[in-house]
This record gives sequence, structure tokens and C-alpha cells, in this order.
Amino acid sequence: MTSPLTEPRADRNPGAAAAAVDLWKVYGSGEAQVVALRGVNCALERGRFTAIMGPSGSGKSTLMHCLAGLDSVTRGQVSIGETAVTGLSDAGLTKLRRDKVGFIFQQFNLLPTLSAEENILLPLAIAGRRPDPAWYATVIDTVGLRDRLHHRPSQLSGGQQQRVACARALVARPEVIFADEPTGNLDSRSGAEVLAFLRRSVTEYGQTIIMVTHDANAASYADRVIFLADGQIVDELASPTADAVLDRIKRLDTAAVATGATE
Amino acid sequence: MIKASLRGLLQRKLRLSLAVFAIVLSVGFLSAILVLSATLNAQFSTLFSTINQNVAVRVEAGEPGPRAPRLTAAQVRDLAATDGVAAASPEVSAEGVVPYRAGDDTPVGTDQALGFGVDGRDDPLGLVALREGAWPAAADEVAVSAHTAEQARVKRGDRLKVYLPVLNEPRTFRVVGVVGIAGGRDSLAGETMVLFQEAFAQQTFYGETGVYAGVSFSAADGVSQELLRDRITAKLPSGFTARTAAEVNDEQAAAVSTQFDFFTYILVGFAVLAGVVGVFLIYNTFNIIVAQRTRELALLRALGAGWGQVAGSVLLEALVVSAVGATVGLSAGIGLGYWGEAALAEQLTMDPVPVVVAPSTVLLAYALGIVATMVAAFIPAIKASSVPPVAAMRDLSRPDRSLLGLSLTGAAFALPGAGLVLLGALADLGGAGFLVLLGGAVLLLLGSLLLAPLLARPVIRALGFVLGRGQAGRLGVRNALRNPRRTAVTAVALTVGVMMVGTAATVIESFKSSLTEALGTSAGVEVLIQAQLNAAPDGTQGFDPKALERVRAIPGVEEAAAWHFDAADVAVAGQPQFVFATDVAQAARMFSMKTVSGSLRSLGARELVLDENTAEALGLSAGEQTKVRLGPVERQYTVVAVYEPTPLVSGILVGPAAVADFNGPLAMQGLVSLDEGVDAAPVVAQVEQIMKDYPGVRVGDRQSYVEQSSAQLDGLLLGIQLLLVVSLVIAALGILNTLMLSVTERTRELGLVRAIGLSRGGVVAMVNVESILTAVFGVALGLALGVGLGAALTQALIRLKFATAITVPWTQLAAYLVVAVLAGVVAAILPARRAARLNVLDAIAYE
Repeated sequence: MTSPLTEPRADRNPGAAAAAVDLWKVYGSGEAQVVALRGVNCALERGRFTAIMGPSGSGKSTLMHCLAGLDSVTRGQVSIGETAVTGLSDAGLTKLRRDKVGFIFQQFNLLPTLSAEENILLPLAIAGRRPDPAWYATVIDTVGLRDRLHHRPSQLSGGQQQRVACARALVARPEVIFADEPTGNLDSRSGAEVLAFLRRSVTEYGQTIIMVTHDANAASYADRVIFLADGQIVDELASPTADAVLDRIKRLDTAAVATGATE
Repeated sequence: MIKASLRGLLQRKLRLSLAVFAIVLSVGFLSAILVLSATLNAQFSTLFSTINQNVAVRVEAGEPGPRAPRLTAAQVRDLAATDGVAAASPEVSAEGVVPYRAGDDTPVGTDQALGFGVDGRDDPLGLVALREGAWPAAADEVAVSAHTAEQARVKRGDRLKVYLPVLNEPRTFRVVGVVGIAGGRDSLAGETMVLFQEAFAQQTFYGETGVYAGVSFSAADGVSQELLRDRITAKLPSGFTARTAAEVNDEQAAAVSTQFDFFTYILVGFAVLAGVVGVFLIYNTFNIIVAQRTRELALLRALGAGWGQVAGSVLLEALVVSAVGATVGLSAGIGLGYWGEAALAEQLTMDPVPVVVAPSTVLLAYALGIVATMVAAFIPAIKASSVPPVAAMRDLSRPDRSLLGLSLTGAAFALPGAGLVLLGALADLGGAGFLVLLGGAVLLLLGSLLLAPLLARPVIRALGFVLGRGQAGRLGVRNALRNPRRTAVTAVALTVGVMMVGTAATVIESFKSSLTEALGTSAGVEVLIQAQLNAAPDGTQGFDPKALERVRAIPGVEEAAAWHFDAADVAVAGQPQFVFATDVAQAARMFSMKTVSGSLRSLGARELVLDENTAEALGLSAGEQTKVRLGPVERQYTVVAVYEPTPLVSGILVGPAAVADFNGPLAMQGLVSLDEGVDAAPVVAQVEQIMKDYPGVRVGDRQSYVEQSSAQLDGLLLGIQLLLVVSLVIAALGILNTLMLSVTERTRELGLVRAIGLSRGGVVAMVNVESILTAVFGVALGLALGVGLGAALTQALIRLKFATAITVPWTQLAAYLVVAVLAGVVAAILPARRAARLNVLDAIAYE
């Protein structure tokens, strides 16, 4: 199957918030060699909410880590906005993360020594920037944390902690926010709240979000879903519904079983 | 279960190797000290058995010294005729017989400078034997030991200048022979030895010929030392005692090793401190390791392990770690002891002996290593066993435990302690005041250590305002604050050592400034003549007070006062005391002494004055009579006056006439005041010229007087500073250890801050700030306690008039803080590097 995504090339698309060109990622060597990404090409548009899906081991997390500059690539190029990520030094990567990228993790990853407010403002403090008061107010009102700002992470529920993490990613207005299974550790209600909030930040504020998930319901909040299998992009879906996503996954699984049987 | 805990041990090599290192350091230090002191004892036993190798019985005066009775030649012959005596060697000897180096004409600097009289025949007991030349046969001839010849740079036929005690002047002799010591040695223990013609030595040292201080006898075959001793004792003239060579050996070795007692005490102090600090370090290490293993231990519990098994596995780990640490430490200690013995033997020019490792040394080393570790691991073990199985499924974010109980206990110690310190400093409790003060200090220290976690928060927050620059710095401050117990336990390793130094530095600084102030306000001593002593002062060492006549003749000299000291065997009103002899009227002028009662005039024979503290202690007042015993001579003295003590003058003063009852006529100190506007330097040079003939007499200006007076205190301070260095090394290690473990524990957080844009440098700064804050907190607490105690002690001294004002040595304190910051930076190097090198992705995914 030929995906329309193999063409056009990412570097011909100036509107991409993040792009990968012929991206290969190989772990280990010799017998133990594992190929996680096999020549992935993709361009993820600005101001859109993109979900990356795929079964375990499909390379979806690796793709996100490579796009975000958290992991090195074996071959190919990655760019965020106008910046080429591949080849950046540690200092360059630090600056990139500081200025252009926001993260939301499955494990929340808040600093236990800081209050919710301090955690939210931490990226700005590290970069030595002042928050825009109006934007800051908007963010905390959107995540609904105004009365929890002075609590420590240990005094917050999981959903609240993840909303703090979302606010932390948003407040610096990065070019792109990478979310790695943001609802993986939450109950369905808290998860829905967080997803609705991510959706709003894209629709209302034009934030670019790239989310890795294996939850069809979570993916249904996105504008576009990219499906990965065996380190390659195998399909995509625009304006997905949960049912459509599930349907595609089912087909992918069947295809994978069929491929496995012929080998 | 045992397998699981041993495997766990191997997997945490880095963390545990730091714990092992802490044990090695404490145990190594202790065992090195024990080995060294046992070896030193062996060294001296060997020395004295060489001296007495052919001796069976030795006869000496019961009370040795210049006033001791002498044996006549007839008495010696009579004793030698005792049945069972093989040979007799009568002794004519003196100490302080100092040879001068040929060429530069300076005294050969050694503590032991011996002189003997020899009768021209070979030594019947074989201790010394001629190597070349002949025995001295005339009054102007001497033989010297090979070591002396080397030190004084003379050979047979050369002229040798020798200072003669009793005569108290140098004379020049011709070297006619060189002798060696039994066993092919050049000296016994680095002493110089000059051998004179017997009659000359008797006349010079004892004032008459034909008398001896003692005799050594060898026994005929088949006669035991004890038997011979008893036979000789039966014939002894009164005032003499006979002892077997074995008894003499033991006594002499014991006497010499007491000279090393001070040394040993300091070293034992080091070892105890190293042990105490080591316990803190080990405790902290195990505590953190257990905290990190909460999940693993909870999993074991979930799989059915009982709490006893979990606690047991932690304790087993501790046992293995401590056994390894103690063994390595003991070996290192023996190695250090060997090296120390070699260095000391070299210093004393003695042959090194094999190191002595007593069973008690091994026992103590293992006791410190294993017991301290087990104690340190016990609380973490109990904690580990109480981990609920559900913790295996949860993130280990246990709420902070309250510090209330700990702090209340701390306050229960610290408040009464502080009260006692204040009471001791301010209330008039006499001598008991110091005991009250020190008892209070111990309570205060214990309380403060328990209060340290509570104090850590506000202190570190305040310090954080200064140090926590930038976001990285602020994160470092937060990390230092997040677990006050951990920070406090890590920091207080520094507190104990710093407190001791702070106390000593404050007292010494106050004493010095009081002394300088007193010297400035009194008429002033500008030039000081001071004898270096190697025994209690008794008038046999120093300079002839007549030499001061020549000093007074130097232009610009206003007054010159001789001070004689006798501390050898003196009692006043039945109590052991020091006595000073000088012209009291002159002293009153030079030191602006103030009278409490009576009058400070020049004293006649059998008159004394004393300061009011001593007067109170002895229950004496002006006009009363009291008994003063100087050696064997006891006389009735009259108290002429009671004066106010100052840092310069205190104690019992008698007139120059009393010097006749001292062991010797020499003055120990000469105090010289100058006319207005006269420069001290040229006067010092001229006085030095006059005092050149008295070996061991030094001349200096006023500053050197202050330094002289506080020299012993400075030595003490140096000792304590060394102690600080030891505790600093261990404490820095502790900080390193804690940070290393914290970095591992916070791997995910480090990954996060890197992911959201903190640079490597930022991570380094973050770890550095935490490290420095920990070190500075420990030092600041120690300094606060130290300066407080020092001020309290000084206040007590002020009440006793030994000091006049409290002076805080700010520059020294600032230096200690700088050292603490440096220690913090050094300790942070490894953990910071580790933290900065973490792979961001791995760190975030870290479990």
C-alpha cells in the first residue's frame, strides 16, 4: 500500500510544525539489532492536533522521541519549525527544548518540591522569561486549577497533576507540544477532561499538538491520526471518530497477522 | 532470602562502596592509632632493655635531682663486694650537657644532652665501648658518642665547646675518643653524649670528687636479679633504693611513653570523631538505600516475606558491608601504623621495630566497624520491614514525617544545656563553673544535633537567598530543603569538628587580644628572654640572672627583670603549686599590678604574695603564715600581699632570696622594658649576643612574648584543626554519598528539567548549590555553637581575670566557611557530573 504521505517531501512543506525525512532508528547491532523506524517521512501541520497510533512495538513512541529531539536518529532528518534538529549539540537541543518544544508525559513528571504554580512556570523560569499575565490567566482558567495553584503535586489527584503538566507545556507557547500517552495513567473521566482541554488549546489558541496514544477514544479528539506498524507509516485518517479509528486498527491487526502467516 | 539480599548487594556496588569507604576511613584511623601507640611502647621497651642488657640491679637515690644524696667510693666498693655481684659500674652523670656545633658555634639542638664521668677503664657492663682514640684522662679531655661527633661535626683531636650545667657556662675541651653504644648504635635514641674524666665530672656536677649518683651491678651466674636486689638492699645506705633491671625497664619505658600520652590522646580523639562521624555517614547511606529499595522490599513482602526476613536482609547486607570495611580498614591501619613507626623511628634516630598488632586492636577495629554499622543500619532495617506490600504498586511518595517528636527531644537537651552554659559563664561557681559549663556544652551539642533537621529549613532558606541564584540555584535550594532529616544528618558530620575549632579559636583569640591589651597598658615588656625547657622548670635550665646586668647596660633599656620558676616538686599550704621568684616591686611597676590587700614591695626571704584566686583557693589572706615546701626544704612564709590577677601575672610570687632553695639558680625568663621611643629590634640583637652562651635560651620582642604565652594554646588549636580536617574529609565524603544517592533517586526529575530546557551547566549548578548549602549549614551550626561556647568559656575566664575581653576571630571563622564551600564544591563534582550526563530520554523513563 502506498500512502499519500510518502509524498510530498517534508522539506517542501514550510507550514509543518515538525517533520521527518527518511527517518531510520536502529537500536543495538548484529544479532540483537532492532529496527524501530524504517524510513519514515511525515509532516505534521501547524495548528493541528495529530495523533500517532499503532500497536506496541510499532515505533510510535520512538518516532515522537526522535521528532522532539529527545532521541538521536540513525539516519534521516528531523526538523521543528525552521530548525533542523538532527546534528544539534546538547546546548542546541537544550535551547530548542527551552524555546520551541513542550512536553506532556504519561507519568506527569512534576517536581515534588515545587507548587503547582511553580511547576507551571518552571520552563519560563529556566529560560529566564516572564509569563504573559493574560495568557497565564487564560491557561490556568482553561485547565481549571486556579484554586489549586499553591498545592504540592503530592496533594493533587492524578488528573489534576496531568492538568498541571498540560498547563506547564502550554504556558511557554511552544511551536509544538509532544504528548506521550497523556491519559495512560488516568481514569476515563480525568482522561476525557485532559483531552478536551488539549482539543480546546488547538481549536481556540492554535496550539500544535502531537500525541502518541494507543487509545482509539483519545485519538478521536485529534484532527488527524497517523498509523504506524513495524516502523513505517501504514495509514492515516482525517477527522477521526473513535469507531473509525478502531476499525482501522482492526484492519491493521488483521493485515499484520496475515503478513506474519505468509512469512 | 539470603541469596536475594546478597545479590541485591552486588547490584548496588557504587552506593555500598561509599558506605564501605566510610567504614574503612573510621576503622583505618582507629587501628592506625592503636597500632602506632603499641609499637611505640615496644620501641621504648627495646630501648631500655638495650641500656640495661647486662644490668641485674641498679642503685639510685630515692629522690633523684641536684639535692639527692651521693654514694662515696667506699660505699660503692662495699656494695660491689656483695655476694653474687659480678661487676659494678658507678655512675656520674648530668643532663643539659650541650655540645656546640663546630664552625657556626650554635648549640646542638636536642632534648637529651647527657654528660658522664668515666674512670678510664672499659665499661664493665658493656653499654658503651671505645671505637677510636682513648678515654678522657685529663680535665680538658672528652670522648663523645659517634652520634654526637656527627651532630657537632667534630672528630678525634678537634676542639669541642660544651655547656656545663651547675657551672652554667660553656667550656672548650679536646676530643680524645669516640664511643659507640651496645648493638653497634651511634646513639640510644638520638641523644648527645659527652664523656668527661671522672674526677672533673664529679667536681663539676656534684661539687666534690669521689662521689657517685648510683651504681649498676651485673649478677654472677646463677644469681637471680631479685636475689641480688634483696642482698644489696640489706646493705644500702639510707636515701637509696635498689631495683632489678626489669623493674627499671618498665619504669623508664612507662615514663617515656607518658610523654607520648598527649599525642595518643589527640589521636584517640581523632579516631573517636572519625568513628562518630562514620556512624552518621553509614546511617545516612543505609537509610537512603532502603528508601530507594522501597518498591523492591514491598515486592518481597507481597511475595510473602515476613518483616523479620526483610529486616534481616537489610541487616545481613550491613554485616557483609561492615565486615569487608572493617577488614580493609584494619589492614590500612596496620599499614599506616607501620609507616608512622618508620617515620617516628627516623625522627628519633632509633632502629624501627616490627609493628605490634595487639588482639585488642583487632577487636576494637571490628567492634567500631561492625557495631557502628549495625547500629546505623538498624533503624533503616526496621523502617524497611514496615513497608506495606501495596507500596510495591504505588509511587513512593510518602508524606514527610513530622519533626515534632525529634525536635521536642532536641529542645529537652538543648535548652537545659544552654542554661547550664550561661550559668557556668555568668554565675560565680568557682572551679565547678567550668564543669557546669562543659556539661551544658555536651547537652547543648546533643540537643542541637537533634534539632538540626528543624533548623535546616529556615537556615537553608536564608542561605538560599544568597546562594540560590537563577532557576537552577533555586531548584538546588528546594532539593536541599526537601528532606531536612537527610540534609541535617549529612551536614552535622561537620558540626562537631567545627564547633570544637570555633570554641578553641574564640577562647585563644580572646586570650591573645587580652594579653596584647594588657601588654599595651602596662609599662610594657618590649624584649623577652625565654628558656626552652624539656622538663618541669626548677632553676636548672635557663640563664644566669647576673647576665641581666649586661642587658641593663645596653643603651635604651629601662628595666630588666629575672623570673625564676619552680614547678618541679613544690607545695604551698600542703597543695602542689608553681612558684615564681622575682623582684615583686619591679614586677608591680612593669605589669601595673593592682593590690587587693597588703603591699607589693620587694620581698625578703620567707615572704610571698599571691593573686586573689589562688589566695581564695588556698584560704590565705595578707598577713597570714603558711608552709612552703621547695623540694625537700619546707619553710614558714608570710603572705605580704594579695593582688589582682591579670592575663600576664597570676600565681604565687616569692623574692629572689628564695631561689637558694630552688634546684638551680638559673632564671627561666627575662623581661626587658625600654625607654620611650627606643626600637626593640637592635636591643633584641644585643641581648641575643649576651644570651648566646646559654643553650636553649631564646630572645624576642613583645609580639613573640604574646606568641610564646599562647604557643601551647596555638598547638592545641592546630591539633583541633587537624581534627577538623579529618571530619571535613569524612563529611565531604558523606555529602558526596548523599548526593550520589539523591541523584539516582531523582533521575526522573533530572530528565524532566532537562526535557523542559535546563542545560547541563544548570544541572551542575543545581547539584552544586545543594552540596554547598549542606556543607555551609553544617559549618554554620558548628560555628554558632563554637563561638557561643567560646564566648561563654572566655566569660568564665574573665571572671577569673585570665582574660579581659571576648574577641571573635572573624577572619578565621570566615576561612572555615570558605573551606566549607570548597568542600561542598568538591563533594559535588562526581554527583553533578553523573547528573549532567544522564540521557534525557532514559532518565524520564527511569523507574
